[in-house]
Amino acid sequence: MKKGEVSLAKKRQKDTNRVAAIFLAPVVICLIVYIFYPIIETFRVSMLNWNGISTDPKFIGLDNWVKLLQDGKFWTAFLNNIKVMILSILIQIPLGLAMATFVEFAGKKATIFKILWFIPMLMSSVAIGFLFTYALATNGGIISSISQLLGGGNIDLLGNPKTALYTVIGVVAWQFTPFYMVYCVAGYTNVSEEVYEASVIDGANKRQYFWHIALPLLKPTIKSAAILSMVGSLKYFDLVYVMTGGGPGDATELMATYMYKLSFAQFNMGYGSAVAGGMFILISLISLLTMKVLNGKKEDY
Amino acid sequence: MKKRMMRIAALAMAATMTISLAACGDKADDTSSSGNETKTEAESGAEDADKEAANDGASDDGASDDDKVITYWNIGTEGADKEALEYAVTEFNKNTESGYTVENVPTQNDKYKEKLVIAMSSGECPDMYTSWSGGPMNEYIDSGYAQPLDDLYEEFGLKDQYMEAALAQATYNDKLYAVPTYNVSLAGIFYNKEMFEKFNLEVPTTVSELEAVCDALKAEGITPFALANAPKWTGSMYFQCLATRKGGLEPFQKAVAGDGTFEDECFQYAGEKIQEWVEKGYFPEGVNSLSEDDGQAKQLMYQETAGMLLCGSWYTGTFSSDSPEFYEKIGWFSFPKVDDSDADASIQNGTIGDQFVSFNCTGDKLHAAFECATYYTSDGAKQLMVDVGKIPPTKDAGDLITDGVTKQILDAATNASAVQLWYDQYLPPAVAQVHLDTCQEMFGLTMKPDEAGKKFEEAMEEYLAGK
Repeated sequence: MKKGEVSLAKKRQKDTNRVAAIFLAPVVICLIVYIFYPIIETFRVSMLNWNGISTDPKFIGLDNWVKLLQDGKFWTAFLNNIKVMILSILIQIPLGLAMATFVEFAGKKATIFKILWFIPMLMSSVAIGFLFTYALATNGGIISSISQLLGGGNIDLLGNPKTALYTVIGVVAWQFTPFYMVYCVAGYTNVSEEVYEASVIDGANKRQYFWHIALPLLKPTIKSAAILSMVGSLKYFDLVYVMTGGGPGDATELMATYMYKLSFAQFNMGYGSAVAGGMFILISLISLLTMKVLNGKKEDY
Repeated sequence: MKKRMMRIAALAMAATMTISLAACGDKADDTSSSGNETKTEAESGAEDADKEAANDGASDDGASDDDKVITYWNIGTEGADKEALEYAVTEFNKNTESGYTVENVPTQNDKYKEKLVIAMSSGECPDMYTSWSGGPMNEYIDSGYAQPLDDLYEEFGLKDQYMEAALAQATYNDKLYAVPTYNVSLAGIFYNKEMFEKFNLEVPTTVSELEAVCDALKAEGITPFALANAPKWTGSMYFQCLATRKGGLEPFQKAVAGDGTFEDECFQYAGEKIQEWVEKGYFPEGVNSLSEDDGQAKQLMYQETAGMLLCGSWYTGTFSSDSPEFYEKIGWFSFPKVDDSDADASIQNGTIGDQFVSFNCTGDKLHAAFECATYYTSDGAKQLMVDVGKIPPTKDAGDLITDGVTKQILDAATNASAVQLWYDQYLPPAVAQVHLDTCQEMFGLTMKPDEAGKKFEEAMEEYLAGK
């Protein structure tokens, strides 16, 4: 009897393993084909002197990486990315949270705002890029027209290297703030009704409820939103590419636009891959560090 | 407990999202390595991807070829470009006895260059494709994606038909690698004739006369030059014209060969003039953020708030198709000479052929593909090009053209002692990028000409050292 029991348990374990393997296989295959392989391939290509199209790339070891470390343009792009990251987190999340709080506190009456505010999120980045290029144009764009109505001159936000990056950050915020609004609204639905009722019974007003109860409970939501925003800003590409192409000069050059230009416009796939690899390493490092810092303090309510 | 669960869930979600986002990042990165391009590729040209793969396989060994379809990539997606580029394909498919058919796959201009690079990097280069010649074409040739065509030129008697300059731009290492197609485009200045009459202005023949015209226009509250410099190559034309008129072609050619330098006097002069003109307000405000693709330069001409426009002469087609009435007002002159310079002022900057077809196939297939390209010099094709406002790059183009402005441009092209291809096309791509960037910064007054020249030269030296 005993012997049979053991083998039955074993058999069940075996079956479970088999089923697990079958169910996991598609995911694992997808991960390998679309994520792990390309990453490894990127690092392999980054050690080649290759124009991207010829059949005889030359192996040059770490030359591209040495060049990358000394490449002022890459580090300028990285700094720009960091600026985008910090300002995105500082603008988008508080604004999104404020909008969510408004929608949450105002209840059904505010549904219209919820819908209106979400619209930018529904547009494609490329469309938004074109839209704002027109709006910001010095040649009849809305900003310059308003400024002229008020008696000022043309305002050239995108053509001026000092303001271009901040203008782009503003447009990115316009696009993504609604996402964090929805994210925080979802966070609010997780704060249970009883907690709110209990606080009201205890005599808390809305302000006190927000600062002392809702906000601490929303912390995990905000943390993950910050990480999302961070990673998103570090790999940002489309809107900048459409609006400025990294210009004027290299005022709005990001790591991704730089990599793209190197690889496809300048026939330097090897070095472009080194930039991609550098980007991968930097983004991973920053993400890991941030996650570690954010998750370091364990608290429970 | 519930909260804890939620927290864990939220963290898990954050983690997965970060990973998947990082993954997305990688996918974006990875458009730079090979793997995923096939996907992007497949998205844009799904229907022909399979066929190309088959073709490519076949063209590698050349001999056995079950597939009688020649894939032809070009930029003729709309308007005159489409009509002219498509013409040869339709005629070939109608008349050929080779047993092959050509499949026309047009892609929009800006996307086209990238699509082609992606296709080549994954080994799925089309059998026929167009390029702007110059640096990128040389890269394609060096990588083995183009065939020398001298014998075929002989066989079809094509050499005598084309303008010398057109063949020169299709040549690399003394061999012909491409067939010019449909247009002669020179950098020149379009101006509003009515406006010039109204303010009693003469067509300038020297740069100082040009500046006098600019000052006069400026005094009337009109922007002298319509320029949209966001894409950078538009401003590069000013630089190129000024440098060529100051020093001729020699300084540029020497600098490219490594015998001279981009810090030469003529490039300095070009940069200084540009900055002087920016300071004097000869260009529209915010010139570096105006977009050429959105037509922000031509709009200034249409609104008659700008008097002149320096660009490639494909603008004749743009003006006449946008507004035939406005086209009546347009005059053209070649870039004026620099007062104290003895450089040959007949030299022109531009492209003779515009799009050049190269071939990535061999044997019978190459023969058939080349036959298709010869239809660009047929009488029907030439007539069509002229009708849509283009100048065929053939010797007899002058007999067909009746339009005044176009005739002027053709004369400038035929009388030119040499035609220099656009700097941004001619230079190796990495160097071209530095030139475009620094040139835009000069327009933005954020970089001095000597600094720009230094960077330009450094990029060139780095390229030559790596060769």
